[in-house]
Amino acid sequence: MTRELKFKNPSFSERIKGMLGVDFYRLFHTPMFYIFLAIAAIIPAMVSAMTTMPGPDGSASTPLYSNLWQIIAASKSLYVIEGIADYANMNMVFIFGGIMVSIFIGHDYKSGYVKQLFTTHAKKQDYMISKTLVCAFAMACMCVTYLIGGIVGGMFAGYDATVNVGSLVIAVLGKMVMSLGWASLYTFLNVIFRRYFGISVASSFFFGTGILIIGAAAIVEGLGLPTGFLNVFLYGASVNANLSSGIGSLLICIVVSVAWAFIYNVAGTRLLNKSDVY
Amino acid sequence: MNAVEIKKLSKNFGPKQAVCGLNMTVPMGAIYGFIGENGSGKSTTEKMICGLIPTSGGSIKLYGKDYTDEAVRAKVGVLIESPGCFPGLTVWDNMMLEAANLSVPNAEQEVVNVLKMVRMEGAAGNKYKNCSLGMKQRVGIAMALLGNPTLLVLDEPLNGLDADGMRIMREVFLDIIKDGTRSIIVSSHLLGELQKVATHYGIIRHGKMLVEMTADELDASCRTYVALQSGEMNRTKMLLGCKYSRVEEDEAGYIRVYDLTTPEDIVKYLYDNGIIVTEIKTDKIGLEEYYIDLMKGGR
Repeated sequence: MTRELKFKNPSFSERIKGMLGVDFYRLFHTPMFYIFLAIAAIIPAMVSAMTTMPGPDGSASTPLYSNLWQIIAASKSLYVIEGIADYANMNMVFIFGGIMVSIFIGHDYKSGYVKQLFTTHAKKQDYMISKTLVCAFAMACMCVTYLIGGIVGGMFAGYDATVNVGSLVIAVLGKMVMSLGWASLYTFLNVIFRRYFGISVASSFFFGTGILIIGAAAIVEGLGLPTGFLNVFLYGASVNANLSSGIGSLLICIVVSVAWAFIYNVAGTRLLNKSDVY
Repeated sequence: MNAVEIKKLSKNFGPKQAVCGLNMTVPMGAIYGFIGENGSGKSTTEKMICGLIPTSGGSIKLYGKDYTDEAVRAKVGVLIESPGCFPGLTVWDNMMLEAANLSVPNAEQEVVNVLKMVRMEGAAGNKYKNCSLGMKQRVGIAMALLGNPTLLVLDEPLNGLDADGMRIMREVFLDIIKDGTRSIIVSSHLLGELQKVATHYGIIRHGKMLVEMTADELDASCRTYVALQSGEMNRTKMLLGCKYSRVEEDEAGYIRVYDLTTPEDIVKYLYDNGIIVTEIKTDKIGLEEYYIDLMKGGR
């Protein structure tokens, strides 16, 4: 006796729910996520504590920051860094985040799990969207632990905590929003270099440092041209979320982050559709 | 309607043509033994059926729909090369991940069911990396069975399985196809095992389908032979070689006569030449010998 076969077309929401379920399950069931959360908390605490410790000969050290909240964001938009304090803030999450995304996506290929993902109803587009969202969530969580670590470290170091609360909130929210754009960039890079884990990590690190935008800004400033257009790039918009930001900066972060996420997702989907996945 | 219908399929990797103009038909309710040498294009074909690699030409239809159709894809269970599992996670976690991926309703119960089917329910808490090769294969098959698939594509699923594991897999395969709509494509080098379950065969070489046939057609085309033993094997072989065109000694120590003849004729002929036959039987060559013959160009 034979039965009739019926095939139900899974909706986008069903497909993405399945893929997100996989990625969140993995995120929460592997130690990597928690290790990176801890790293994001420890680094600002250590940087602020170590830079205020006296030297071995008992000489007083020069504090790295002038204000506790500079651990979280720069005091103003500085595309070309003038000192380490302009650079060593929550933007560093996007560097560690790149490494985390490389490990997270790299494991899909290393373990062969990607075979399971792509042999089912899932589309390549679903894969890109899901990875981007889950990695953005993970990086946003790292921003939170970075904030906590920075506050604790800064308080122990005795930094002045005076701040414009509104700008601080906008800066933190702006950087959390930027996690989406950065996660999409790293997902795209990891799709390109999916067979070469080392290159994936190195490329994520390279782009995460923002060195291309810092270099471009140096040239633009050298030519005496306005640098505002750099805000259309991920690093530029991330720098633009700082302690003197207004609501406009947050809007820029939202628009830039979403726009790049869209671009990288479309590009990544096209690449996956045309290439041998495994 | 066939479960799988492939026409003029081709796949190039740069200048190398891995699959060229392959035609393949897997009827509904079939266990399709997909056979070929290493590098013949089996895995490449299976990867294309599963959507892991794009085709360079030709068409693949699954249940009458294009192979990229998500509705059909949702009902394809796959084990290609080795199970895609995270080594640091437990068997249970890996199964739950796949259940989430497939949006399986009542996932926990379904995972328990498929683990029971492959007799792995007792090892659900083991980390995948600590499982033996055979256990890993069973996990892979359990993953492929999740979500009640209509088509199973299994690449070397019998590798690493012990005798009991192979028996269990045979039972599972036969259970799957019993309603006549679900189909299984199995590639394996263990041809003896494959012959116990396969209802159809496809033999591929250099990316082309050499022959497709049902198990009955294979049975009909497998030559019969007379196998015998005597007290003087060397002389027996020499004498038989004088009268019959194809006489060979097999690994078990029997002399085989492939010509159309009867055991009675052979016994009489040898008796007339002073040789007593101690054992004689008629048999058919199996899939393995048929395949080797085919590869040698004997057919």
